[in-house]
Amino acid sequence: MTTVPRALLAIDAGSATTSVALLGKPWKRWRLLGSMAAPAGAPIDELASILAARLISTDPRMAVELTISAESVADLPRLEAVSTPPQTLAVLGASRRAVGLLESVAARTPWRIRTASPETHDPREMTELALRPDVAAILVGAGDPPGPDERGWLDDLAGLVGAASRRRPELRVVLAGPVAARPAWTEGAGRAFDGSQERIVEGPPLGMRSGPDEPLREILEGLLPGRDSRHTAVRALLSLSDTLDRTVELIDIGLDGGLRAMASPGIADQGPAAVAVRTAQAALVPSDIDDDGVDAVLAWTTGSLDRHRMGDRLMDLHQAPWADVSGEGARLRLAATRAALARLDAHSPDIAAMPSPDVTIVSGGAFAIAPARAVALAVADTIRRPGTTQLAADHARILGPIGTIDDPDERRDLVADLADDLLAPIGSLVIVANIPAGRRTATRIGRITLDGDVHGRHDLVSGEVAFIDLAPGDRATATLEFRDAVRVGHRARRVAVPVSGGVAGLAVDLRDVPLRLPERRDRRRAALAAWGELAWPGDER
Amino acid sequence: MAARSPSPSRASVAEGPGIELVARRRLLVTPVDAFFRLHPGDRALVKEGEAVGRGQPILEHFREPRTLVVPAQGDADKQLPGDRAAPPGSRSRDGQNLDGELLFRSGGRWRIASGDRAEPLESPVAGVVHEVRPGAGITLRSTANAVIGRTALAGPSWGKLQVATGPDGELRAQHVDVGMAGSIIVAGARMDAEALTRARAVGIRGVVVAALGIKEQRDFLASERRGRAAVHGLPPFGILVLDGASRRPIASPLMGLFEAIEGGMVAIVGDPPTLVIDDPSVLLPAPPADLVRVRSGPLAGAEGAWAGLAGPRRFPAGVTLEAAFVRFGGRPPVAIPLGDLERFA
Repeated sequence: MTTVPRALLAIDAGSATTSVALLGKPWKRWRLLGSMAAPAGAPIDELASILAARLISTDPRMAVELTISAESVADLPRLEAVSTPPQTLAVLGASRRAVGLLESVAARTPWRIRTASPETHDPREMTELALRPDVAAILVGAGDPPGPDERGWLDDLAGLVGAASRRRPELRVVLAGPVAARPAWTEGAGRAFDGSQERIVEGPPLGMRSGPDEPLREILEGLLPGRDSRHTAVRALLSLSDTLDRTVELIDIGLDGGLRAMASPGIADQGPAAVAVRTAQAALVPSDIDDDGVDAVLAWTTGSLDRHRMGDRLMDLHQAPWADVSGEGARLRLAATRAALARLDAHSPDIAAMPSPDVTIVSGGAFAIAPARAVALAVADTIRRPGTTQLAADHARILGPIGTIDDPDERRDLVADLADDLLAPIGSLVIVANIPAGRRTATRIGRITLDGDVHGRHDLVSGEVAFIDLAPGDRATATLEFRDAVRVGHRARRVAVPVSGGVAGLAVDLRDVPLRLPERRDRRRAALAAWGELAWPGDER
Repeated sequence: MAARSPSPSRASVAEGPGIELVARRRLLVTPVDAFFRLHPGDRALVKEGEAVGRGQPILEHFREPRTLVVPAQGDADKQLPGDRAAPPGSRSRDGQNLDGELLFRSGGRWRIASGDRAEPLESPVAGVVHEVRPGAGITLRSTANAVIGRTALAGPSWGKLQVATGPDGELRAQHVDVGMAGSIIVAGARMDAEALTRARAVGIRGVVVAALGIKEQRDFLASERRGRAAVHGLPPFGILVLDGASRRPIASPLMGLFEAIEGGMVAIVGDPPTLVIDDPSVLLPAPPADLVRVRSGPLAGAEGAWAGLAGPRRFPAGVTLEAAFVRFGGRPPVAIPLGDLERFA
């Protein structure tokens, strides 16, 4: 932004839906004036003019003050973030073990992965994979020195990848280890690797497997477009954490992938810091719908769909993710969201091991339209970190667009103005762990008291989730008292935690950590149905 | 190039404001860049810029592929990965087929993708070869019109189009008869694996269907693999799925197109999944501008006239969604979630 506008459009063009938010600065602060989403491909100008018309009808004076009209709104400055569909990465190694190591790193990036090694694939099949038009890059790795299981095949692998890079001049190649140093590389590629080819990047060898995987992940993510909304959202999250002076976690589940990021405010001279994992594995619906993917969703459903019917529903959900979002479609979507959250949690153990954040923000199409309690329950089911966190939603999907502002000060100022508007409070979530085994069978194990609550104390029953009304904007101190010591952040029998209200109120989760669902299908469904009653009450199922 | 008919009378109804927010489904595409995979070892029988007729072999692939390892001979630097290893029919002393594609050289030895029992693939459409990439594929550009589907299985294939049932019908195995042999049939809302297998057995060349479940897809593909492994020169057969996996009728604009081209030659192409219409002179009907179709939810498959935006509305499961009014027949407008609608263009 070269000049300071008084209104602008924040656009998040996702794979499933396009969201447009109208921001304005009527007085001294930026405010969110309205937002709207429509199926991907919907004309942004049309969405913007509908937002302008709604503003004019509800507050014509503000519209005049900001010189917003249905005709001119399309000319406003724009902050635009785009979700790009995942590209395919071929992960090749000289042994199954080497491929497994590389895959574990690549799975924590937005790439869609296809793996092959000489132990599992013929050289013809590996060449076919490398030459497939949808494969945009190859990650090939080896130990330095190569392991005993790699030595027999490493020359062939170097020749194969070298030949593929020669046949496809547009192909990006990441060499994690001394692959290009093998004589066969020169035979395949036609020239020795001297580092002058920009499309071929060297990364750390597999010997670094016990260390952090950031260097290789950064290389892989660096091959992708930097304007992706899940990339820019982390920059906005940093600004938000700094503004609120709180640790903030962002969980985003979208059609093509997921994001989990934890941002901490700066201390002393240090700026805010963030740890983030973007992964295509956490897509709402996997691109290849296999039995495992179907079973993962079925495990969270209470209906009577068999595996084939569920596969059909998931295929339809993948093809038209903006459709069928009411009624049973909403419940199916939340079941798929839980499966995606579980995959995201599995691929981000470093973040899962961190203490519970002050604020947890959910974002993405998976959460966009679900009832608040259903969202809170989905998060509680899958992100099982003992402690207290305030849940909120990036309801207008403006974190990604805000992150496109390059100047951190300008970004921070905008976030500071919009902090109250961009987060819709869902409520607070308290997860209690280490409940003694003898008290895990639906027995009263303690009570919770909210200061100033006219309803008095609420009993806490093990194995259940309790929702307590706490209106948006309300703050309270929740005092939890137990018969035995439990863990809510720390281990104690009496814990007092600050909580804040939201549409879902306060949720106290007294189930196992990690959550253990009954093995028997009917019992599991009964348990899910009982918890689901809290989130999808009465005839709104 | 096909001419579109003038807009019917309903198209004179001005497009209501907001209809642009409804997901637009494109019915026809032209030109079509049909892509045919070349696996390593496959031989392209055409060159870039070459005109190709329907039924002309464009590539040859091995039914029993394998990798050979042979020492590099002569001036090895003149041979490049992707080149042919030897002229067709070349054999080693032990009788191995040396015809194949050079994959890579390592330790002074070439790996060659070769195999036995080469089988030709015939072009389902006429066009011009746009690109040939050994080991990757052949792109053939056709200037014909093509109906866009969601997915295509097996194929490619071609034949005369025959509408076998209505848009909401379901063709059962007992209704698939030999009279349809040689044609591509429009099979209504859904078809089961048994009917598909029978269709293939009686000589039908392809099926166009609104929805095909994931089980039916797997069963059919497994049956197709078994059939191709057992029989050499099995006639082509393709399936074009128009909508998705859950049962729903064929949209009326698509059915109108199929009825208009019934009896004409069409082809099913896998990438992109399309039904290519051979005759460029046929007059294709255009859908009314205000026609919208409910693609999911309780009213899935229903079609009506756009009656304007309804604003945010509350729907079952407690969700609030942007909605639109749709008029079905002469009845009062009904609010439908915007995301559940589609329009045609």
